[in-house]
Amino acid sequence: MQTNPLTGIGPTDISPTTRRRFLRRLGAAGLLAGMPGLAAGLFAGCSGELPPLPGQFSKRGPIRVGLLHSQTGSLALNENPVRDAETLAIEEINAAGGLLGRPVEIICPDTKSRTDLYPRRARTMLVDHNVAALFGGWTSDGRKVVLPLLKEFNRLLFYPLAYEGNESHHNVIYGGLLPNQQVLPAIDWLLSPSEGSRTKVFLIGTDLIYSRTANFVARKYLQSRGMQVMGEILVPLGGRDFAPIVAQIRDSGCDCILSTITGDSNLAFYRELAAIGNDPRQRPVVATSIGENSLQSFLPEEVAGHYTARCYFQGLRSPENERWVETFRAEFGYDRVLSDSMEPGYALVHLWANAVRKCGALDADSVRQALADVEFAGPSGILRVDPRTQHCAKRFRIGRVTTNREFEVIHESEQVIPPDPYPQFAFPGWSCDWTKDGLIPGPAVRFEL
Amino acid sequence: MFFWVYDLPTFQFGLLCAGAFTLFYWIGALFFRPILRQFVKSTPFCNDVVGYVLSSFCVFYGLLLGLVAVTAYQNAADSEEAVTREAAALSALYQDVSHYRAPYGQNLRWLLRDYTRYVIKYAWPLQRRGVIPTEGGIRVAAFEEKLLEFEPQTRSEEILHAEALRQFNTFLENRRMRLFAVQAGIPAVMWYVLLVGAFVNMAMVWLFDMKLITHLLLGGLLASYLGTMIFLIAAMDNPFRGEVSVDPDAFESLYRQMVEE
Repeated sequence: MQTNPLTGIGPTDISPTTRRRFLRRLGAAGLLAGMPGLAAGLFAGCSGELPPLPGQFSKRGPIRVGLLHSQTGSLALNENPVRDAETLAIEEINAAGGLLGRPVEIICPDTKSRTDLYPRRARTMLVDHNVAALFGGWTSDGRKVVLPLLKEFNRLLFYPLAYEGNESHHNVIYGGLLPNQQVLPAIDWLLSPSEGSRTKVFLIGTDLIYSRTANFVARKYLQSRGMQVMGEILVPLGGRDFAPIVAQIRDSGCDCILSTITGDSNLAFYRELAAIGNDPRQRPVVATSIGENSLQSFLPEEVAGHYTARCYFQGLRSPENERWVETFRAEFGYDRVLSDSMEPGYALVHLWANAVRKCGALDADSVRQALADVEFAGPSGILRVDPRTQHCAKRFRIGRVTTNREFEVIHESEQVIPPDPYPQFAFPGWSCDWTKDGLIPGPAVRFEL
Repeated sequence: MFFWVYDLPTFQFGLLCAGAFTLFYWIGALFFRPILRQFVKSTPFCNDVVGYVLSSFCVFYGLLLGLVAVTAYQNAADSEEAVTREAAALSALYQDVSHYRAPYGQNLRWLLRDYTRYVIKYAWPLQRRGVIPTEGGIRVAAFEEKLLEFEPQTRSEEILHAEALRQFNTFLENRRMRLFAVQAGIPAVMWYVLLVGAFVNMAMVWLFDMKLITHLLLGGLLASYLGTMIFLIAAMDNPFRGEVSVDPDAFESLYRQMVEE
């Protein structure tokens, strides 16, 4: 047998392929081809991300946020639209590519209009789902019971509702109106000659922290302006027996009613008021918790002519609002209406997203810091967080209910009103500045009726 | 465990199954065939014997494959029917409550619309991952709560309310059927028998005394078709997973109607 002197291959080496030879070659080729993949697999296994430690966030997968809302019970009528507005904002963020290149996932359990469920649901979202932030809440009781959890887990709650003030928590961003942006301007408006210089006010509310505190602030302010408080009543949440209360209002001799009633009770209140033949021109109700959504549950003759003090009305003319109204209705139905509590819900989600984009992180400290430098052009105007109080400057507006259950904006503050959670005439000595010393408590205040 | 295959496009899933079976057959033909052949090579007319055994095995295996395929198809068809019935009941309920006096009618309509949107946008993606969506139950509870708040004041309202309640119960039944179907599928033990059968089938073909190239060609063809059959069953199994699955078309068309009215 001869061997090729150049290649060193003998004649047997080019004999027809046998099974054994085929296997040997196949094995060698397979080993060579498989080695890079094997190495990559091994290294990939070694470099895989470890699970996040408690209080930290994973750098992969969706970013989870919690929506804290009552979807059943007496508050559902009010809270479901806010949840929808927040959902729309998150869907818009996802449609635009998500946050930090990751989708945002919604966790939305039901708090069933029960204050005791707020901390339980919040804890589930914080522990089991490791949500980056919480949005929502409705009653102040519900908000206050989750504050310890927010501190424990160091997460931010973006609270969209108008509330009573007397609070500034480091872990809450407040997007709604304060009494100095809603109740007090409403009193000033009632006192104005254009509105008949009304001076005899009856205060009515729900027996919750919001009404207790808002009424306290209103009472102090009314007294400081020389107006009379003709009576004050708090009804239980979900209460519907308004006949004796309305009779008491009628007999009090008041010429206007300032209502901080929240939830379904408003239906029974206005119905009873209409039943005794109350004329809104003689004795109007200025409500703080009636929006376009809840208005749809009333009969027109029950509410037409009364007023609502808010920042946002659906009919506001601005490109941002018109775009929002159109988007929302295309998504949720053309018979849906948008209200004051929905607007901050929507805008706060976008504001949070802008802050996350700016700082590139999800932790509360980074986001809080970034919030001082970002803003969002929302439907009611530019939304910006005041880093001292963690509240937002807002514009005050008064809307009159028309016979087709819409609001006609009849008054608007010239400037945005800066937030003041601790008006000194009501809470002397109290102040807060989170850029300096944080919350400085003053003497204890009692909200007795 | 193997649910990731449902994330693949159908075409790739099919190719993967056929390819995996073919590859397995080829590997067996190269590595295991010489070992298995030791048991039969001294048997006279071994190809005939193997052929007879393979024929009788194929009868049983074919029957099993057929039955499992029918079961998978039936599961998918039942799930599709449950979805269609749920959407139909929802539509009828929506029409019923539309006639309620203000403000009940409007609130109830919004709640049903909210439920429909949730099913399309949030429940379906979860179902596709084999997760039973839970938040739909909250929306159903919200609707039920408001429906039961309504107090009929006239005879016609009484009739309407009774009909709405009946329709609501039908809707609940069908909704429950859909949720049960999310994790419905062929039992693991059946898959086990099916795959063992496929292996035995290929192992028997390895026993034939043929040239290697003939094995690779004929056995490869047989294995790829076996893989295709398994793909067919797997694609129809788990009715809400993968591209060949129940889609939310019925809900989507209903929701479009609800939004635009």
